[in-house]
Amino acid sequence: MSLAAEAFVSQMAAAEPWPENATLYQPLREDQILLSDCASSLAVQAYLRMCGLPVQVVCRANAEYMSPSGKIPFIHVGNQVVSELGPIVQFTKAKGHSLSDGLDDVQRAEMKAYMELVNNMLLTAELFIQWCDDATANEISRPRYSSPYSWPLNTILAYQKQLEVRRKMNAIGWGKKTLEQVYEDVSQCCQALSQRLGTQPYFFNKQPTELDALVFGHLFTILTTRLTSTELAERIKSNSNLLSFCRRIEQSYFEGKSS
Amino acid sequence: MAAAMELRCWGGDWGLPSVHTESLIVLAYAKFSGAKVTVSPIDWTWKTLTATVPELLCGDSAVQEPTQILNFLRKQRFNADYDLTARQGADTMAYIALLEEKLRPALLHTFWVDAENYANLTRPWFASRSPFPLNFLVPCRHANTALSRILLMKGEAPLHRISEVEGKIYSDAKECLNLLSYRLGTANYFFGNLPTSLDAFVFGFVAPLCKANLPSSPLQSHVRQLENLTRFCDTVLDVYFSSDHPCPPPPVQDTKDANLQKLTQLVNKESNLIEKMDDNLRSSPQHKPHRPEPKPSLPPKNPLSPWIHSLLD
Repeated sequence: MSLAAEAFVSQMAAAEPWPENATLYQPLREDQILLSDCASSLAVQAYLRMCGLPVQVVCRANAEYMSPSGKIPFIHVGNQVVSELGPIVQFTKAKGHSLSDGLDDVQRAEMKAYMELVNNMLLTAELFIQWCDDATANEISRPRYSSPYSWPLNTILAYQKQLEVRRKMNAIGWGKKTLEQVYEDVSQCCQALSQRLGTQPYFFNKQPTELDALVFGHLFTILTTRLTSTELAERIKSNSNLLSFCRRIEQSYFEGKSS
Repeated sequence: MAAAMELRCWGGDWGLPSVHTESLIVLAYAKFSGAKVTVSPIDWTWKTLTATVPELLCGDSAVQEPTQILNFLRKQRFNADYDLTARQGADTMAYIALLEEKLRPALLHTFWVDAENYANLTRPWFASRSPFPLNFLVPCRHANTALSRILLMKGEAPLHRISEVEGKIYSDAKECLNLLSYRLGTANYFFGNLPTSLDAFVFGFVAPLCKANLPSSPLQSHVRQLENLTRFCDTVLDVYFSSDHPCPPPPVQDTKDANLQKLTQLVNKESNLIEKMDDNLRSSPQHKPHRPEPKPSLPPKNPLSPWIHSLLD
């Protein structure tokens, strides 16, 4: 969105309170959704629950095409549609709900930096493993991604998506990496997050912020998703404070959630 | 000692040792860590087309990309992050990710995609530094790579036009610069009194933006308003790249310390195993209980092995 459009949306958002019928759209949970989309969607759900904002999760096969930016998930609130965690955080802030108000400037800088670290490393690694690793792409990603469609559309769409992701990986310099190097990057990222978390309950001590939601979304999804190998989950499990962090957030915010 | 190291990079101008961000990062880190690196600029050679820049040649091995080169230098015991705690090492990774995601697209746009800057500054500079007939090819190639990179990363379907994306990348970049400014505060460097790899990265990204004679750049005017960042760049240039003053000594690391650190790593790797064996051994009275070697005095913490500290703390 251009800056003027964003400012306009913020103003309109501020005008109305959060409605009861807000919905979050994502691809079909059982058959279609992939690791990276599931992680992003869970991050947004965690964030909204932390803010205490009710939202219904609706699964649609064409969620990716409905989204204004092409990315999952997106929320439909009132008469506005917002996608991705960043814009959703700004949108809820315009409505008066924010988790990071209590942070000072340096802490906010740190929080944004760590969020970029997660996006840069974990999300990119998830995309790489899904689409650039042939074994995973053939067995899991392509069949799942194209499951709602019939032949020949399913083949075309799956290959198109794979090509798009591979081009992006080449552009950012991940095209030549091996799987082992990607696992190593994920390990380093988890170690950094583990160091930052330390023994605190949340990243910025007592209160959760959007960083906690994002980290939870990614780590929980990786730990609970079955891939061709368990290497990724093992790398995360070696950091015990991250495991207890995930469990804590799951218990505090997702208890009683129907799966 | 290490074999002679040669760094291939783009040449310098506008008061900087190199105009290319990645080359500048490596040059700055080499100065901070005290590594003696011969700089061979690729200007006016055919390497402007063929070489991946920057590239570090040491003996038989060639290392590319700033992160790989910095790792290589650390392995050769040129480590500017020696005194950082593990948490500061984690912060370094996070801030570097922030720079890559938020600032790089806008820098690429300012130098290579913005028509006025490209025509008046970037293309003449790179064309004048490339031999004929590469002066027609090299700037074009860089510009196309930059544009496709920005669109692939930031272009959201269906808005695959650069004009839609411009506003977003510039506002992200300004926010990133503000965040760096908050983090730096009034200090000379990001972590204490000595520069580290984060300082090298920030210098590499911000210095060309501060110093280049860009005809039109709202981003440059923004960064010039952030006094602590411009002061940071000037400090690094004066202290480490000025021909008048000799470079200050790098953080002291001698062979004994490095060996001690290797020993500590080995010991701590084994101590986990040993603690598990301990229980078994305790139950069999005929075996003497195995004790891990006494831990030596704590060496300065190394961010590359943060798990040591979770064991030592």
